[in-house]
Amino acid sequence: MTRADIHCDNIQKSFGAVETVSQLSIVFKSGQTTALVGPSGCGKSTILRMIAGLETPDTGSIRIGQETPRQVARRGGLSMAFQDPSLLPWRSVRSNIALGAELARKPVDRVDELIDLVGLVGFSDHRPAELSGGMRQRAAIARSLISAPDVLLLDEPFGAVDAITRRRLNRDLPPLWRERKTTTLLVTHSVEEAVLLSDRVIVLCPRPARVLADIPVDLHHNRALPETNAPAFRDLAMRVLTALEEAA
Amino acid sequence: MAVGRFIVTAVVFALVWEFLARAQTGSMIISGPVAIAEYLTNNSGLIVRAATETTTNAVLGFLWGNLAAMMLAVIVTLLPRSEWTISTLALLVFCIPLIASGPILRVLFGPGPGPQITLAALAVYYTTFLAFLVGLKAVSQNWTDLMGVYGRGRVATLFTVRLRASVPYLFVGLQIAAPAAFLGAMIGEFTGAERGLGVLTLRAMRGLQTDATWSLACVSAGIAMLGYGCLGALRRKFTPHAPVILFSPKRLDLGRSITIQLIGFVSVVGLVFVLWQGAMDAFGLNPFFAKRPGDIFRFLSEPAHLNTLLAALGATLAYAVPGYLAGLGLGAGLAILLMLWPPVARATMPIAIALRAVPIITTAPLLVLAFGRGFTGTVAIVAVMIFFPTLVACLQGLRQTPAQIVDLFESYGASRFQLLRSAQIPAMLPALFASARMAVPAALLAVTTAEWLATGRGIGVLMALTSSTSDYNMLWSCVVVLCLVAVVSYAFVAWCEKKVLGIYANEQLA
Repeated sequence: MTRADIHCDNIQKSFGAVETVSQLSIVFKSGQTTALVGPSGCGKSTILRMIAGLETPDTGSIRIGQETPRQVARRGGLSMAFQDPSLLPWRSVRSNIALGAELARKPVDRVDELIDLVGLVGFSDHRPAELSGGMRQRAAIARSLISAPDVLLLDEPFGAVDAITRRRLNRDLPPLWRERKTTTLLVTHSVEEAVLLSDRVIVLCPRPARVLADIPVDLHHNRALPETNAPAFRDLAMRVLTALEEAA
Repeated sequence: MAVGRFIVTAVVFALVWEFLARAQTGSMIISGPVAIAEYLTNNSGLIVRAATETTTNAVLGFLWGNLAAMMLAVIVTLLPRSEWTISTLALLVFCIPLIASGPILRVLFGPGPGPQITLAALAVYYTTFLAFLVGLKAVSQNWTDLMGVYGRGRVATLFTVRLRASVPYLFVGLQIAAPAAFLGAMIGEFTGAERGLGVLTLRAMRGLQTDATWSLACVSAGIAMLGYGCLGALRRKFTPHAPVILFSPKRLDLGRSITIQLIGFVSVVGLVFVLWQGAMDAFGLNPFFAKRPGDIFRFLSEPAHLNTLLAALGATLAYAVPGYLAGLGLGAGLAILLMLWPPVARATMPIAIALRAVPIITTAPLLVLAFGRGFTGTVAIVAVMIFFPTLVACLQGLRQTPAQIVDLFESYGASRFQLLRSAQIPAMLPALFASARMAVPAALLAVTTAEWLATGRGIGVLMALTSSTSDYNMLWSCVVVLCLVAVVSYAFVAWCEKKVLGIYANEQLA
């Protein structure tokens, strides 16, 4: 299954005089979950936006399988959860989640399942303004999942989610995208979350973004949530943390 | 409670009005409520027929004008490259004083409601275009990103996000448009219709019938305010929080270079001439009354013609400029005064907004009765026309002063006057200049209408005269010159704006 391997080949991107990403080459394996960590402003979001086709690299190229990001986007193979939930205020929770499938031109048949998954049962007819920040964030995550994308981009989507739900999502989401062979990219500030959710953690250092450490995570053999206080987990988390300190 | 207070206020108001009317019975300036009620009962059939006619035309114009405005705004949204051209063209058309296009439309359409409907449409389209476009663009980048992630383009974004997000803005525009449509329809009737409130008003004024003039003004203002109120109620039902919109186009810079701007402007003017010529030829209009650009140029090459026109223009400007400055000054001055007494400002705001809805032109005959047909009366009409929109915009501008800056001044124990001078007036300037730009066509409309109705001098009279004597070359020339004056004055005000804001409110120029 190489269809949705993401190849970033020598990509470079500047905004005005600031070079955000310089000569970056990474391959994200199909069906894997990769966490991108790094100090604020190190270009993580820019990389995600380029893979989503929202920005074009100044030089270099990005391929998802044989296609460009725009081509994947156009056939509904991509979805993204932003830092800001970006829900449409005039639509109900249900309708906001369904929007993900509508825009991707996919059948709208799993709304209830996803409402259940993100713990919004009983709120499906509420408007975003009636929800807490964390609940809006969960609706946005559900919206990104409903189109069953090949490539899922998560830009700090758990930021405003409360600790208990966050834990539940951390438990329920990885099996979901592993089962669907979704190629997932996760930007996060939480080292623990990075190790917990992903098969690989990439530590970036800022201006311009480059890879400081590429740490494989092999804790997921049994497809259950790893024990966060197991020695293997703590070792990995420590390695990520050390790399991060170096990056800052 | 509120209803009770409203009734008490209304009764007191009516009593004072009646008292004033009775106190000056001899001079025939004011008609009291009793006289008006009497006139309306005696002539109810006539008034109802005329009001139905005018309202029908206003509603049709409202529909057409807003439809056109919305389509233009959608085109600009879908084709961002067309924004400069379309906005500039829309502004040029907006600068044509309504009363100037009235006689030409009358000639082109012949008798019937065509000109009234067109003028009503012209009176509404520009504010709706501005408001709707602001709404269509007021979409957060997150939403456009969301659409982009699914590979969806401008059309999908328009339907999924922009149209719905623009509804509150559209409603604010439509609410302003309701009285404006009525004003347009009445002006159309002034320029020679057979039926309608405008026709009756003209007749009542010429016959010096005070009771009839007052009754007609009350009915017209009442219908216009009713339209404003109905759309306001509709807006509140759908969108509880109305956004604050400055009804003024933002400066569109083509580029830094003044040469590029000039080239852009000249080509749009050229486009206007081509469209003008093309429309005349396409409809095969008779050159006897449908003049082409070339005819006007030849006509004005004759010094005698040009001198007549310039003399009339001079007379008009002698009234328009003082009225314009007085309206702006009084509006801004009152806004500042009110700001020194915040409770008064809070109480005045709704009244000022409501009065902005009164189509001033419908009350012009009353101002003529009060101030006479000379300098004072005309200047008063122009000033009143500009006064209310300026007051509202300036009050809104003064309120835009950032709260932290107000807190900062207060923490130093600064006086209210210091706060006003150093923080609030600079914050008000953008709103004042926005009104000043929009007031240019309004002032020309007011002065030419006043001349048409009353004063007997200036370019308004020249147009009235030439349209009755079929001197169509002169009529078209008047319109062209008025448009030129409007565009040049608008550009001059925009230039002053840039200079002044460059000194006092630099961040606003970004």
